[in-house]
Parts: sequence; C-alpha cells; structure tokens
Amino acid sequence: MDTEVTLTNAPAAASMHASSTPQATVKSRFVPTVFLVVYALLLALGLGLGSAYWVMNGNPPFGSLRLGPWQAWPSLGSPEADPYMRAIIARRGDVPLATGEGLGFTASADSEGRALDAGCSYSIGTVAPSARLWTLTLYDGDGRLPVTELGRRSFTSAEVVRDAQDRFTIALSRDVQAGNWLQLPPSGPFSVTLRLYDPPGAAGANLEESDFPVIQRLGCGA
Amino acid sequence: MRGFSRFLVATLCGLVIAAGVHIAAIFASPYLAEQDAFAKIQPTLTADKAQIISAPGGENTWLPKPDPAVAVAACAFDLRNGPMRVAARTGSLFLSFSFHKETGGVFFAVTDRAAVRGELEIVAMTARQLDEARATEDENEPSRDVRIVAPEQQGFVIVRVTAPAPSLRPQAEEAAKAVSCTAEQDA
Repeated sequence: MDTEVTLTNAPAAASMHASSTPQATVKSRFVPTVFLVVYALLLALGLGLGSAYWVMNGNPPFGSLRLGPWQAWPSLGSPEADPYMRAIIARRGDVPLATGEGLGFTASADSEGRALDAGCSYSIGTVAPSARLWTLTLYDGDGRLPVTELGRRSFTSAEVVRDAQDRFTIALSRDVQAGNWLQLPPSGPFSVTLRLYDPPGAAGANLEESDFPVIQRLGCGA
Repeated sequence: MRGFSRFLVATLCGLVIAAGVHIAAIFASPYLAEQDAFAKIQPTLTADKAQIISAPGGENTWLPKPDPAVAVAACAFDLRNGPMRVAARTGSLFLSFSFHKETGGVFFAVTDRAAVRGELEIVAMTARQLDEARATEDENEPSRDVRIVAPEQQGFVIVRVTAPAPSLRPQAEEAAKAVSCTAEQDA
C-alpha cells in the first residue's frame, strides 16, 4: 500500500512542482520585494527607536569630563549641550546645574574602578576643589535619596569636620563611625554626587584629579 | 543566492534608515517630551513669585537627584505677555538664577555675585522687545536693567538657594520663595 501511495503521489508532486515553477519566479519579483521593503522599514523603526530609547535612558555619550572616579558633563548646563544631552534632560525631567552656577560630579565606582556597593565601607577625602560651597550627596541605585536610620544623606563644605590641615574624611558605611559619617542604604549599588557651587573660573576648566577626593574601599562584608 | 543578496540590500537599507530614525528621534524628543521640567513648571505661569519645586531636604520632589542642601524654586514665563522681570534680594546664602528654554537647555545663568546693592534683577525679553525697549528709552537716562534675550518665547527660570547647614534650610526656602517673577507690560 505504502509503495503504491508514494508511487502515485510522487508524479503528482513532481507535476505540481513543475507547474508552479514559472509562477514562483513571477512571485519572487513582487511579493518578496514588498516583504523586503516592509522588513527594511520595520528594521529601521525597531533599531532606530530602540537605540534612541536606550541612549536616552543612560548618561550622555559624549562630552564627559572624567577625573578619577568622578564624572561630569560640563556642557550639560550650557547652550552648547549636544542633542543627546537635550534629549536626556527632557527624558529625565531634569534641570541641570547651569555653567554659571556650578558643576555636579557623580561617582558610581571607587578610585580603583570597583562599583560602589552598600555592602562595603568607604572613606572619601581628603580634599575637594575650591568652590563657594560644595555638597556631597548619597543616592541609591535608582537615583533617590536613601532612607536610613541616620537620616543624613549629604555633607556640605560648611558642615564637614576638618582636621588641623583643613583636610576632611567622610566615612560611608552601614555601622556607626566617628567623625563625618554617612550611613549607606541596606544593600545594592549606590552613587555619590559632588556638586561645586560657584567654582572659580568656568565650570570644568582648570580642575585636576588631584583636587578631588579619593574614594577608598576599606572592606566588604558584615 | 540572488534572494540572499536582495535580503542583504534590504538589511543595509534598513540600517541606513535606522540611523536616520535614531537621529530624528533624538532631535525630536525635547519637543515631544510631556514629562520634562517645563511641563511640570508650566502651571506656575500665573504666579508672580517663584514656586518651590524642591524644598531643602530633597523630600517630595519630582526633580531627579535633588540636593538636600539646596532650595530650588521655579517660575515659568511666556514672553508673549511681555518681558519678564526676575528679582531677588540677596543675602549671605548663595543664590543663582538659570534661564531655560521650553525645550530644555540653559541660555543664561547668573549668581548673586552679580547683585548690585543686594538686589539681583534680570529682565528676559525677546529680540523684538529689546528693540522696542531701546527705541522708547530716554537717551539721557538709560535703563539700568540687565536685559537678556531669550531664544524662545516660553521657558522657565530656576532659582537655587543653598543652605550650608540644616539650620539654614528654612531661611534658604524663604529666600527662594521670595523671588519675584513678574510679566511687564511692553514699555
């Protein structure tokens, strides 16, 4: 039975194939072209919008100033901001510090490049660039002010306790520390932002890495 | 093989158009954004005092990454109603104005270092309003206003007052709230 079936079907299939061949070549000039156009447009929309969305949710790709672990975008608050910066500002709903007001530096890694983690303890010091006022603020992984038992999330240059040589050290840890202490959130990544208000000279100019505080990891674990 | 090369051409076309779509999306997004800072500040247009958008302490604010040591206030302006005058009395606390376009982007900023006898006063106007103001001005008694030309009709001013210590936070907030933003009649 089986052989009969295959025998009877095989010629039929062969004839179908033969008869459909001219049609297939005609079709391959029309239908696939439409498909290819649709494919190209969908690819363009998907990749174009997807990549734009991805860039807008991150940091500006160009124009960053990196000094040790600290990173800033000096033209973010100026008329020279590039289109990526403008798109990112609009996306975040942010109001960046203007060039004439000051400059904000963010660190999400320590001075050796390891990501900041609330499970570790850190010390930040001992110098900061000259400015009328600076503030050092702790943010959690989502960019919010962390909720801790201590309640303090920032130090200003006026508050911080200094030694006789005018140097300061801020301890970041879960447990109580003597001196300047900021309590870290219970877990997860965090970032530190150093804002310089009214620095001398144009924002971002004549700043050097040696003027910035070092973020040192002291240890990890409970 | 021919089908494959056609597929490759289509993919390349898609990639080229994708680059165009990407650029267009980046350029358009400040104009299309509905949750940007201007949209949130616009309701303050009619107020003649700056409205606090982030009180010191950084609680209850839409501003991303607020600085707890800074009081941030804002007023929106629409220069079609005439030039806008922003005025503040400066004290010992750092105070700054920054002028933003509707589509984001700073076009001017000034700190209290520019204050004259404890008053910081800026008039924002369009290029046309500046011409009119110059034309009607008395030559013997020129205006002492600091005038800046805004590139767009609409925008907003951000006032920042810092509180170096937590005890100064109420004072910083008061100083930020006391800034006046008034639309002037075309003079």
